[in-house]
Amino acid sequence: MRNTIAIMQRELLSLFLSPIGYIVVAGFLLITGVIVLVTESFAPGRPATLRSVFDFTPYVLAIIIPAISMRTIAEEYRIGTIETLTTAPVSDAQLVLGKYLAALIFYAIMLAGTLVYLLLMLIFGRPDVGASLSSYLGLLLLGGAFTAFGVFASSLTRNQIVAWMLGAVPLLLFVWFGWIIVRYVQGPLRAALQQVNILRHLDQFNRGLVTAESVVFFVAVAGFFLFLTVKVVESRRWR
Amino acid sequence: MIEVRNLSKFYGSLCAVNSISFSIREGEIVGFLGPNGAGKTTTIRILTCYQPATSGSATVAGYDVFTQSMLVRSQVGYMPESVPLYHEMRVCEYLHFRGRLRGLDRPARERAIGRVAERCWLTDVLRRPIGQLSKGYRQRVGLADALLHNPRVLILDEPTIGLDPAQIRATRSLIRELAQDHTVLLSSHILPEVEATCQRIIIINQGRIVASGTPTELRERITGTSRLIAELKGPEGEIAASIRKLDGVTDVQCRLRDGWVSVSVSTQRDLREELYRLAAARSWPLRELRRDIATLEDFFVKIVAGAHETHTEAGASGEK
Repeated sequence: MRNTIAIMQRELLSLFLSPIGYIVVAGFLLITGVIVLVTESFAPGRPATLRSVFDFTPYVLAIIIPAISMRTIAEEYRIGTIETLTTAPVSDAQLVLGKYLAALIFYAIMLAGTLVYLLLMLIFGRPDVGASLSSYLGLLLLGGAFTAFGVFASSLTRNQIVAWMLGAVPLLLFVWFGWIIVRYVQGPLRAALQQVNILRHLDQFNRGLVTAESVVFFVAVAGFFLFLTVKVVESRRWR
Repeated sequence: MIEVRNLSKFYGSLCAVNSISFSIREGEIVGFLGPNGAGKTTTIRILTCYQPATSGSATVAGYDVFTQSMLVRSQVGYMPESVPLYHEMRVCEYLHFRGRLRGLDRPARERAIGRVAERCWLTDVLRRPIGQLSKGYRQRVGLADALLHNPRVLILDEPTIGLDPAQIRATRSLIRELAQDHTVLLSSHILPEVEATCQRIIIINQGRIVASGTPTELRERITGTSRLIAELKGPEGEIAASIRKLDGVTDVQCRLRDGWVSVSVSTQRDLREELYRLAAARSWPLRELRRDIATLEDFFVKIVAGAHETHTEAGASGEK
């Protein structure tokens, strides 16, 4: 645990010291700002809710989160510090977990930047605070799953841009795939695929429903990809 | 302290280390010498638990590098060849981070950082970002990191590569000092480097140990092929013939250079006195007489070149 925290703190320090971190945050806040504007969430007469913003967020996060996590492990391989790190008494699981937590905390801080819209809604209207909080919980859990996938992508290469692509493209397809399911798939196949539909899980949170099913889904996805990441880091020793 | 038995490492079908065995006693300072690509770094990476070996076993400080990896890692201080560091961090931040990974609490870290910063002359740059430091300073940060937890075994991969001559001398004397408290294994492809710092040398080439021993022992093995160089004035043929008659001479080569005959004598013995008497008896003026003892450098080059020749021969015959 001590090692995990040490690695997490160091990674956070690097994230905050690198320009990439700020570019990503600025990009995210800019895109959410544009979405708020385009969806006319603050237009007079509209219900005081950010739901239409949250509907777009998974697509944005599919691109943004891999940009946060792309450096985590790829950078260690690129500059060679993986050698000093894995010859110190640190297990591969501690290493991966530390990296993951740092990226997740960075994401949470970035997400907190959007709370300003909720604050404005509270000033100018009476939004459903419970549903908003459950939306944020959903986005945190979604971020947990996406970050795990991004860290996994980062462990596959030593090039940050490649890591970003490897993370963002499958995530985008996966989110879009949820939309396709709802549109075109029918029958028992639809029921099965709906279980892994990110948009459906997120929609439940947006409606103020925190279901065990959805929480378990996101946590399990995160756990699965973290496990794969540990295996990738282990296997790279043998090459 | 370090025990290596029949260690091999293959990268695919490429054999980087071919069944090597050696052992290093506590408090020894051993140089691992070989040309680039000889398998030094691979061996070191196996000993530091960065990579597993394909076959064979190795123990460091009594622990097996494969099955007791965490215990080995806590006993070893390691500086990789490229000295990888986080350039955005300050020196003290980096050392604190490394100290935490080593399980040192804050007061222990403060003490350890003070100690290694003084030893590695880093006190002035502790607050500087690593990215702004020169190569020499970064090397010292890497060394400070390796020393932080006062390890029993210190493994340094090419510790002086890329340093200027003054820094090389300083680093060498630091390594010699460190040997009082630590067992040191260092690698290098530069012989004088190893000769100056190490008590024992292990020469490795193409994944095999080709020679090992103290510098003196290695030198003794090669003085057998020493040569005698002389310059005399006289008839060339007569000089060659009379020298060839001397006891223990295996070969004589003469060359005429601005009126003087330059003679190179291959011999097992020290024939300087006989040669002087011969020249005096024939009243040939003598202006140079010296014994050319092969240096370790010659030996090293010969071993490496010899292995290289057999390698290319094998390659050529393979092509036919």
